[in-house]
Amino acid sequence: MSDTKLSLDFKGLLCPMPVVKLAKAIKEIQVGETLEAVATDPGVMADIPAWTRSTGHELVSLDKREDKTFKFVVKRVK
Amino acid sequence: MTETIELALKTLEAQLNQPLETALEACARCGLCAEACHYYRADAKVEHIPAFRAEKLRSVYRYEHDFLSRLFPVWTGAKKLDEPTLASLTEIAFSQCTLCRRCTVNCPLGVDTPLMMRAIRAMATASGAAPEILVMLADSAIEKGKDPSFFKDLFLEQITEMEEQLRDVTGDPTATIPVEKQGAKILYVPLAGAHTILPPAVVFNAAKEDWTLSIFEAANYGVFLADVSRAKQVAKRIVDEASRLGVKEIVIAECGHAYASYRWDVPNWFAGQFDFKVRSLIEVLADYIRDGKIKVDPTAIPEGVTYHDSCNLARNGGLIEEPRYVLKNVVKDFREMTPNRDEAICCGGGGGLVALAEYADRRIAAGKPKAEQIQKTGAKVVVAACENCRLQIGDINEHYNLNVKITAITDLVVRAMRLPKPLPGMEAEHLFEGEEVTVERG
Amino acid sequence: MLIFQLLALAGLLAGLYGIYLRYAQTKRRALPVDKSPLKGNPQHGITYAFTKGMMPWAKESTRLHMIAYLRGIGFHIGIFTALGALLISPFWTLLPSLLSWTLGGVLTLGAILGAAGGLMRLAEHNLRGLSLPDDHFAVWLVTVWMAASAIAVWNEAWMAAYYLLSAITMAYVPLGKIRHCLYFFFSRTFFGKFFGRRAVYPHPEPVVMDAVVLHPVRSTTADERGR
Repeated sequence: MSDTKLSLDFKGLLCPMPVVKLAKAIKEIQVGETLEAVATDPGVMADIPAWTRSTGHELVSLDKREDKTFKFVVKRVK
Repeated sequence: MTETIELALKTLEAQLNQPLETALEACARCGLCAEACHYYRADAKVEHIPAFRAEKLRSVYRYEHDFLSRLFPVWTGAKKLDEPTLASLTEIAFSQCTLCRRCTVNCPLGVDTPLMMRAIRAMATASGAAPEILVMLADSAIEKGKDPSFFKDLFLEQITEMEEQLRDVTGDPTATIPVEKQGAKILYVPLAGAHTILPPAVVFNAAKEDWTLSIFEAANYGVFLADVSRAKQVAKRIVDEASRLGVKEIVIAECGHAYASYRWDVPNWFAGQFDFKVRSLIEVLADYIRDGKIKVDPTAIPEGVTYHDSCNLARNGGLIEEPRYVLKNVVKDFREMTPNRDEAICCGGGGGLVALAEYADRRIAAGKPKAEQIQKTGAKVVVAACENCRLQIGDINEHYNLNVKITAITDLVVRAMRLPKPLPGMEAEHLFEGEEVTVERG
Repeated sequence: MLIFQLLALAGLLAGLYGIYLRYAQTKRRALPVDKSPLKGNPQHGITYAFTKGMMPWAKESTRLHMIAYLRGIGFHIGIFTALGALLISPFWTLLPSLLSWTLGGVLTLGAILGAAGGLMRLAEHNLRGLSLPDDHFAVWLVTVWMAASAIAVWNEAWMAAYYLLSAITMAYVPLGKIRHCLYFFFSRTFFGKFFGRRAVYPHPEPVVMDAVVLHPVRSTTADERGR
């Protein structure tokens, strides 16, 4: 499908747990690689972009999907 | 001396005010604080006695400040701060203490051990030794404050959807979730996520409150880092928003550390420019019920319900009877845990520990006394007015097979308001579905 | 004898001066002013911290360890009695015999309770783990001093030894853990201010709101309160 190295399921997790798990997962991929995750808590719409901004990683995409879940793709930059 | 150690010591010195020096000096090592600590109750070893933990910082303080200790360090256990000691201090302060102050109220001298643990946390944060995730979460929050435009459209889109849900469940086509409403009386600060927005929105609308929703969240990870500079930047977002909108009052979602910090610390951080009243959503609910602004069915919750006092709300916040007042108005069978209120046992999730995945095992092990307390009540529903407590009780529920349902106060109130349609996630007739209950309609 | 009396006086003055220095040092440090709006009353909190809050039933810890706590209280009563006795020691011979026997009795009891504390520190696993050499030394020093006070009250031949011990004990007060006697006052004051402001202590009066009793501290039994 894509070159994502890691696919995560954050469904049912409330903030800040998606960010906590994301911060842990980003270390499992190499610089330049991407990971994707699906969450149900709308808080990620603000928290994930804020996290990438403050950590310097790249938010490749963040979409709200038909089934009311949120999918985001993050690229490890450093 | 390395730069890290220098920074850590500098931070200790900077914090050394009368209360901290007192806490460092007053302990007589009588050991009476042992059972006060949930870590000790879960696993009775010397290392889990609050005084033992505090002694680790005292030894560093004595080395720097005590005459006798400089002459005979062995006599008073004095120790020069080095990298391994700092690492061990950091681990203690971030993984073995939830800053619940239960040891303080049980100490004959009233020694403020959490104040010392906060001092260590600040030392660790300043010297770069603090858990990375707490720093990240605080920095993310600060980032949101710098430029809300990057999430605001998405946020407003969410709110519009929630508003539709709100109208649907209340049957009130005029129900709204106002955002950035100039001149509103109340600025309600939720946590990230719909679960702390929709139920309060139901209540505010029913009470015809003049309110507006904050675009930021109440959580403040700077507080857990004991980093006043970061904590202030996080809080400033709300303070600025409140000033800009000209609100009278800031109402904080059901969140322990957020309430304690906005109610008791933020007015000090922003002295002179902070003239807002701060209330917890729980106090607002209590007032609405007392004044008849919302109607609740006292028989709505037939299950046995127990209430967990969040340490930040009760012992450290003074919100002790208000949640009980609300619960007694919506719950038929309310059961106290033993002990409770100012003596309540910490669930183990405080102090930011829930966010620290690396210490999850310790946190859940230290939740054992709370699990036992819950079990003894026989209640099927555990109410906690703090997100971290709820997350922790959720974890111990699973780990110790408690088989209980965990919920917030507002959710029960909304249930007792008997809306035309249930809120999403509250569709079931009973809160707890594993047990036969007779529902009596009032 | 005068030389020993002067020695004890010098020890006492050195101790007092040392405690004053500690006091002055701590007072020089910043005192944060809390500007958060009050919920309770800091003054009432302070009063509580020094009175009801010190009662053996006020805290779970002291209810659990009632004997140990009462031992500690008795020990400290002994210490303050010994301090008073030292101040009036030149006039001991003028005391009516009943008073002098009572004084000796209180001091003996204090010394016995002190020895019990010292032994507990050695024998009990947790206490041993917590204790520093300073802790062991301090409790035995004060215990021996109290015992010497008791003996000297009854037997004048012990006065010289008693004064010598008094000098050492008094001079040691500001140096080691015994200076918690000063910080006790700071600590309980800060405790009272903190919990008083937040209306946690003293437990608020019962308030009836809409037929539901709030703050049911006095209106319910200890059991109902979950204690």
